[in-house]
Amino acid sequence: MIVVGYRPGVSLLHRAHPFTNLTLAGTVVVLAFALPVPIGPLVLTGVLVAFALVAGLPRVLATALAFAAPFWLFLTLIHVVFGDSPMRALTVGGQITAILIAFLLALTAVHPARLVDALLDRGVPFAFAYLLAATLQSVPRLQERAGAILDAQRCRGLNVTGSLWRRARAVVPLAVPLVLGALAEVDERTVALEARGAASAARRTALDPPPDTAVQRTLRWGFLAAAIAVVVARIVQ
Amino acid sequence: MTALRFEDVWFGYGDTPVLHGVSLSLEEGETVALLGRNGAGKTTLTKLIVALLRPERGTVWVGERTTQGRSPEQVARRVAYVFQHPDQQLFARTVHAEVAFGPRQQGLDAAAAELVVREALRRVGLDAMREEHPYDLPAAQRKLVTLGAAIAQRPRVLVLDEPTQGLDRAGARRVMDVVRRMSEDGVTVLAVTHDLAFVAESLDRAVVLADGRIVFDGTAAELVRSEPRAMELGLEVPPAARLAQALKLPQAPVRVRDVAAALTARGRD
Amino acid sequence: MSVEFSSLTFRYPGADGDALRNVSTAFEPGQVTLVTGALGSGCSTLLLAAAGLVPHVTGGKCTGTITTLRHDPASPEGRRVLAGRVGTLLPTPWTQLSGMSYTVGEEVAFGPANLGWSRDRIAHAVSSALDLVGAATLIARDPRTLSGGELQRVMLAAIVAMDPEVYLLDEPTLELDPVGARTVYRLLPEIAREKTVVLASTDVDRAVDVVGRVVVLDRGQVVADGSPDAVLGIPGAVASGRSTTVAELARTAGLKPPYPLSVPAAVERLAS
Repeated sequence: MIVVGYRPGVSLLHRAHPFTNLTLAGTVVVLAFALPVPIGPLVLTGVLVAFALVAGLPRVLATALAFAAPFWLFLTLIHVVFGDSPMRALTVGGQITAILIAFLLALTAVHPARLVDALLDRGVPFAFAYLLAATLQSVPRLQERAGAILDAQRCRGLNVTGSLWRRARAVVPLAVPLVLGALAEVDERTVALEARGAASAARRTALDPPPDTAVQRTLRWGFLAAAIAVVVARIVQ
Repeated sequence: MTALRFEDVWFGYGDTPVLHGVSLSLEEGETVALLGRNGAGKTTLTKLIVALLRPERGTVWVGERTTQGRSPEQVARRVAYVFQHPDQQLFARTVHAEVAFGPRQQGLDAAAAELVVREALRRVGLDAMREEHPYDLPAAQRKLVTLGAAIAQRPRVLVLDEPTQGLDRAGARRVMDVVRRMSEDGVTVLAVTHDLAFVAESLDRAVVLADGRIVFDGTAAELVRSEPRAMELGLEVPPAARLAQALKLPQAPVRVRDVAAALTARGRD
Repeated sequence: MSVEFSSLTFRYPGADGDALRNVSTAFEPGQVTLVTGALGSGCSTLLLAAAGLVPHVTGGKCTGTITTLRHDPASPEGRRVLAGRVGTLLPTPWTQLSGMSYTVGEEVAFGPANLGWSRDRIAHAVSSALDLVGAATLIARDPRTLSGGELQRVMLAAIVAMDPEVYLLDEPTLELDPVGARTVYRLLPEIAREKTVVLASTDVDRAVDVVGRVVVLDRGQVVADGSPDAVLGIPGAVASGRSTTVAELARTAGLKPPYPLSVPAAVERLAS
């Protein structure tokens, strides 16, 4: 089962400060594009896979594989079957896979409420912090709803297998309730937030701000330095 | 004729067992309440009927066929399932188009579907709203739209999940009428519900699940009258039945109509 | 008066008719007020108006005045001042989740945290609110794994934890089983001793046991207002189907009005 979003756990990443996780993900993006290709992105992917396994988060790899597989398929088609640049396929595939793994790791390990607390601690306005956290949590909720809608429509005779044409037509009864439901939820969420005192002029209390340590800070500076170093090396070359 | 049959059905999610060897048989035209506390296995049981889930052991029969190897869309030709919350299925631009979806999926042409839709809308009392956008209707009426859509599937078995929840008395009465009419047409109705007033008024039989086993299977009236059994389920004996018991009315009637008749007779004595 | 409507008329955007028509009424502490009527008569809209959500969030055309705790609840200033002082509970608990909590405890703490309370005060408010609604054992659960009934109790606790002065409860027991619903209803008169409690519900059979006043809406207009017996025990209320099952039975059985509304009241009348 593919799950995108926070899952409680005790892994290394779960214990890290939310900012450290996000810095790591950002650094991977920079490295994926700045390292020499195709070997750089592929090594990066390998390191992230090893890291995910060591951290005890193999589920993330399954999810990343599910998302990356179609890209690999298309890249192979375009660059290998119909083209003649397998190196290009390896490069782009490696970049996409590395970035996917990095972001899925961060999504899995960063508790939205702790992220909000950390942001509040740094003086970020709650409205902004909330938007970020709610977006992170919206994916699993959308997945849940999509599953329920699929069940309901199949029980009314909707055929979701068979020819491409038939599958294309099946999209409407599935997508419309999902989109309308999401829109209605935005309205109701606004009402709910107001009802819970969100309009208050008071500064929101950070409920459980995650501890930040010298080690964490050093790590973040380290990631940042690594990213800059690679970019500079690349430009100088 | 048996419309629905569970033969020693076992089911679990991962390591969590949900149904432990359930055997149950529902006849044509029978109206049955399915009751139980949260986690008792009610939803699992209804999802097994429509092939959204498959038994680990045992067999589910719908008519003369088992659900083995069949998809929900195939079972949908015989079974209509009305989910608890209408917003997970409404998608069309008009009530009419929404209700026509099922019959069109079954391959009915526009003219034939029109007849079916008209009858379904009449039964749920929404004929005047056929051109409305379903999302412009209040939640209670959206619920009736999904019931209309289920009727239009012309099922042999109708599964309802909390059909009276959120409805006012007029809406609940509408649902009760629909159930009675379906039953007269030979359709089997299985309703998951918390509403013992609904059970008393329009269902014949009650089945109670606890921890994945059937712990009661009897007449609806018998269940509705039993205060201890209702309490065990977190349910309440409905007011009419409670009044009949308190006044020791003959035959302990449970339906409003019957209690009223008994009260009137008592007044004359 | 904690909530006061004066000649309030309101129409939703794009609607053909008024959702509320010339409503003048007021709510105050001391007793639970039931606002009832057939679905679509405007009960929910009246609650949303008291909270300032109509017309602020919904849009639409509004004339007349709404005063909640001496402020216009829809004005920017009113919204700021009234934050946390008016507790609104909608009938669909899953749409009211904050969207950033993984435990029930955090979910209930969301409101108090918005009010800027200290962490100690919040922790105390959360545990006593969960205790009150009988959901203390759920504190560490993930809200998304709760049943509808459990979630509805948790969301009531989320409101109680903010200790509002006005409770606006729209079908707060819709997802609960009848025994759970009864338990929640029994809490209301206790809360109403010091707070204003307005309950919108079509579940008259159960609500009638705990309310001191009934306001009936019909197509957006107040058509009756008074004690339960005076409003629901009369032939007109029974004929229009807005009274209790017991009152209907009493009328059919030929009793004289005012009809008894509950089983004990009916037994008392009929046993003699």
